[in-house]
Amino acid sequence: MATTASETAGPPDQATLDALRDGVAGVLAEQSGSTAVHAFIDGKRPLDRDLWSQAASLGWLGFGIPDEYGGLGLGARGLAILHAELGRQAAPGPYIATLSAAQAVADAGNDSIRQAWLPRFASGEISAAVPATPGSAALAWSGQAVSGTLRCLGAPDAGVLLAPVADAWVLVELAGADVTATPMWDPTRTVIDIRLQQAKPAALLDDGAGAALTRAMALAVAADSAGAARSITERTIAYMKTREQFGQPIAGFQALKHRAADLATKLAVADEMVAHAAERAAADADIWVMLAKAEVTEAAVFVTTDCVQLHGGVGFTWDFDPHIFLKRARLNEVLVMANPVLRDQAAAGLAAVTQAGRSALELEP
Amino acid sequence: MSILDKQNDLPAFRQAVRGWLGDVVPSGWKARMASASNDEFIAFQRWWMAERSKAGLAIPHWPKDYGGAGLSLRHLIVIADEIARADAPQARMFTISLIHLPGTLFPHGTEAQKRRHLAGVAKGDVWCQGFSEPNSGSDLASLRCRAVRDGDHYVINGQKIWSSYSMYADWCILLTRTDPDAPKHRGISYFIMDMRSPGVEVRPIRQANGRSEFGELFLTDVRIPAENMIGRENDGWRVAQATLASERGVIAFEGAERQRYEIEAFYRRALASGAPWLRDDQLRREFVGFLAEIQAGRHLLRRLLEENERPGASASVLPSIVKLSGTALRQRICSFMTRIAGVDGQAFAMLAEAPFGSPMFEFMGAFTGTIAGGTNEIMRNIIAERGLGMPRV
Repeated sequence: MATTASETAGPPDQATLDALRDGVAGVLAEQSGSTAVHAFIDGKRPLDRDLWSQAASLGWLGFGIPDEYGGLGLGARGLAILHAELGRQAAPGPYIATLSAAQAVADAGNDSIRQAWLPRFASGEISAAVPATPGSAALAWSGQAVSGTLRCLGAPDAGVLLAPVADAWVLVELAGADVTATPMWDPTRTVIDIRLQQAKPAALLDDGAGAALTRAMALAVAADSAGAARSITERTIAYMKTREQFGQPIAGFQALKHRAADLATKLAVADEMVAHAAERAAADADIWVMLAKAEVTEAAVFVTTDCVQLHGGVGFTWDFDPHIFLKRARLNEVLVMANPVLRDQAAAGLAAVTQAGRSALELEP
Repeated sequence: MSILDKQNDLPAFRQAVRGWLGDVVPSGWKARMASASNDEFIAFQRWWMAERSKAGLAIPHWPKDYGGAGLSLRHLIVIADEIARADAPQARMFTISLIHLPGTLFPHGTEAQKRRHLAGVAKGDVWCQGFSEPNSGSDLASLRCRAVRDGDHYVINGQKIWSSYSMYADWCILLTRTDPDAPKHRGISYFIMDMRSPGVEVRPIRQANGRSEFGELFLTDVRIPAENMIGRENDGWRVAQATLASERGVIAFEGAERQRYEIEAFYRRALASGAPWLRDDQLRREFVGFLAEIQAGRHLLRRLLEENERPGASASVLPSIVKLSGTALRQRICSFMTRIAGVDGQAFAMLAEAPFGSPMFEFMGAFTGTIAGGTNEIMRNIIAERGLGMPRV
């Protein structure tokens, strides 16, 4: 299904994106439904590996990678769609880290670095690890090799690390490296501690890689959060229609209806924030991706928290879905950069754009 | 060459609208209207409608058969966007005339009703809406204003409330009860009432923000010709659904565009003057959050206007989502403006500079958004029941 998109030149049109969304949603609904995710969490099924090979064969891993490097060239809008659908099904796997690292390489790498790495990301041959909060720490750089410890988002078997040194970024192959997975509350993504001692980087990128990585991660996390929040809201409302108390479905109680309506309204706004951020990804000093990450991840924490509560007792059980989405939302909230800092950076960007005599609020080109 | 002659070239059309607004909008109109008397307000509204009419932009969205220009949605978006950008006056007094009346007459009116009354709108007829009653607000279908047949007339007795600009209205679209014994939705009939008929008395309602934009209608033995009924007797509730559905984001769209320019102008001034709130971490973060919500709201409104063009749009609850999110955001923005203005913002007078020259006035006014046109609680019911399929009990 996805392969046709590579034939389109320039930015994808809405119909193409809608078809892609339907395709991705269909596969994930079948492969990564509630039962499959619960089996994965309980260690009974390698859903993460199964989905990864599926994603690779369907071209998902190349959504944001330009055609000439083996991708589909769908840009930020295509990536936002993919991440939202992965969030919807709480799909396990290192998608945010790998696809965001690929964007950074595509944006900041020279042609030989792109040639060397992007096809490997697009094919799923390797997954990437990236700092969970890219601005917070750097590796030591001797001029020849890097050393240090970084807490990263990525799979324990990640093939490559994209990490900052003093004023540049490096790609370091991880074969044989000291990697420790940290058990996390979110059972669907993994955080790893990577210790490097005098490791030789495979490639050096300029500082633009950091901005590109942050931008791509912020958008990915926002989209994932919007999808996750929408999905658990739908599941919660479906449950409320079947759960009876006082002789009627609890979905009939007005106090609960109003809560559900507020959740639906928050989701509608969140979706538009993500869409706006994807449209304006690299424009306006990254204001809109930073704000989308801050606003949407907080909305998702609110929504998923309320979904636990609206379930009542079963919402607090391992066997029901709400806790999975709440935990995913909570991890998303703290990834990339603390939300208050993102808002401060957005405010600084807004001031710069405004002082340059431009408007950051134009919608029409 | 008129503006409408450029309709096949959208950028040229936009430039023409922008040029016309630059020529016609008087500077300082806002400050003048802030302290205008009722007579000055009416005269200004009528002047503005006449100017729009001269430019062919009074009823540009109506079909050509009825005096409109048959313009597309994209043109209407351009017009609303440019009006907002120019900070031009709103046609507040003509809202019912321009939107609700045609929204009702096009699907349900007789040809004679359309010919007569739609033509009047272009000439400046002011219409008001006689729907709500003191005891029928959210529960509109419980209305009790009586209409009793008497020969070729109906005789009306009852009371209406929250009728915007009814003090200045020439005509009223009126909901009445013709069958008190039928179930409440099935005994309602819909009329066109001449506001100059004997027995019509209008009293302005003084609002919490000091203005009087709404009126209360007292109707005593008012005689309405039977030919002024829209739709069939006792089928008025169905007709009223067309009225209630007619707005669907058009006013909100212009409002959201205006708010965008207001906020930008406010921010530019704050930046230039080094406003203290910009140095307060919490306030600055709150403000940039509003910007994300403003942009999302503008996208939602564009989505809504596009959706309106598609079949089956009337089943969508997007108008309710847009109203709920947009009016709540407006309230929070006005609350922010009130907080940062300190004690000065509590003074009844306008602060020096608009926009948000009187944050408390805007804050108090924001309740018209959250309450009028169906309270936000009714919006939540609609979203939950029609949108999410949660059962009515």
